[in-house]
Amino acid sequence: MANFILRKAEPNDVSDILRMIKELAKYEEMEEQVILTEKDLLEDGFGDHPFYHCFVAEVPKEKQSADGFTLVAFAMYYFTYDPWIGKLLYLEDFYVMEEFRGFGMGSHILKLLSETRCSSMHFIVAENNTSSIEFYKRRGASDLSREEGWRLFSIDKEDLKKMTKK
Amino acid sequence: MEFSIRAANLEDCKDIARMILELSEYEKLSDRVKVTQKDLEQDGFSKNPFFHGIVAEVPEQHRTADGHVKIGYSLYFYSYSSWKGRSVYMEDLYVMPEFRGKGIGKALMSKVAQLGLAAGCKQLDFTVLDWNKSSVDFYMSQGCADITADLGLHCMRCEGDAMERLAQP
Repeated sequence: MANFILRKAEPNDVSDILRMIKELAKYEEMEEQVILTEKDLLEDGFGDHPFYHCFVAEVPKEKQSADGFTLVAFAMYYFTYDPWIGKLLYLEDFYVMEEFRGFGMGSHILKLLSETRCSSMHFIVAENNTSSIEFYKRRGASDLSREEGWRLFSIDKEDLKKMTKK
Repeated sequence: MEFSIRAANLEDCKDIARMILELSEYEKLSDRVKVTQKDLEQDGFSKNPFFHGIVAEVPEQHRTADGHVKIGYSLYFYSYSSWKGRSVYMEDLYVMPEFRGKGIGKALMSKVAQLGLAAGCKQLDFTVLDWNKSSVDFYMSQGCADITADLGLHCMRCEGDAMERLAQP
């Protein structure tokens, strides 16, 4: 089954994007962490200054998923800045629905991302996701946490507010 | 000690470039720095900037031996979490060694937090090297969580040839 198209996401896609975000979060055992809404995705992705960009993979109606979906894969990304090397691509989410894996959709999405002409792409993987880590390492990705000791830190909204009051 | 925090402007790029190099030397990774003052000017101060900056400045009477009054900075940009939505990423936070311990780092980070909250951000993210104990301790005291330790999330990079290979079906 090579019958799919890759295209930029459109405002009407936000419902499917959110569905797939939740499916991916479930796979990562982090489903309860998703508080993003369709409204957020619409405002943040399709306004004057989008916070993110998105590619989606679409199959024809006759190839739809068991549950009747035709948007079956997505990649959410944005541009970041490394003061050592300049502009980078940050891949926030990358997902292909299970029943559509193995047909080259993932590779085609990555090819599209590589055409954004950034010299480097950064992303995060959970250490227990060994199949994904192997996939990326086989293609030359470096694990910066393991190899260079970089640890990701985060501070949430409540603690941010406390910080600004001090 | 008196100091002020303000948004960076084009003229600050020379000092920011200097301090980026100083920070990379502190992190023992200075051979990685390829960005120039000109890159910073183009990438940070054009119509669609790739980053934003704030600088910490001291009055003339406290200038360094080399005559610098811009003695700290932070570079940040807006990012997106597919779990939470709008986020702010603090790429660099640096205060020159002789000006540490005076609350300047805290003030810079607080400013980034303020700007992030004003833009509707739900979280502030950044990375720290695991051996940088004084920084890790500072961040933990501000209520930060070590996501690599807590959730096992590893930062990955795919660059140059590796990125080309990733694009092969």
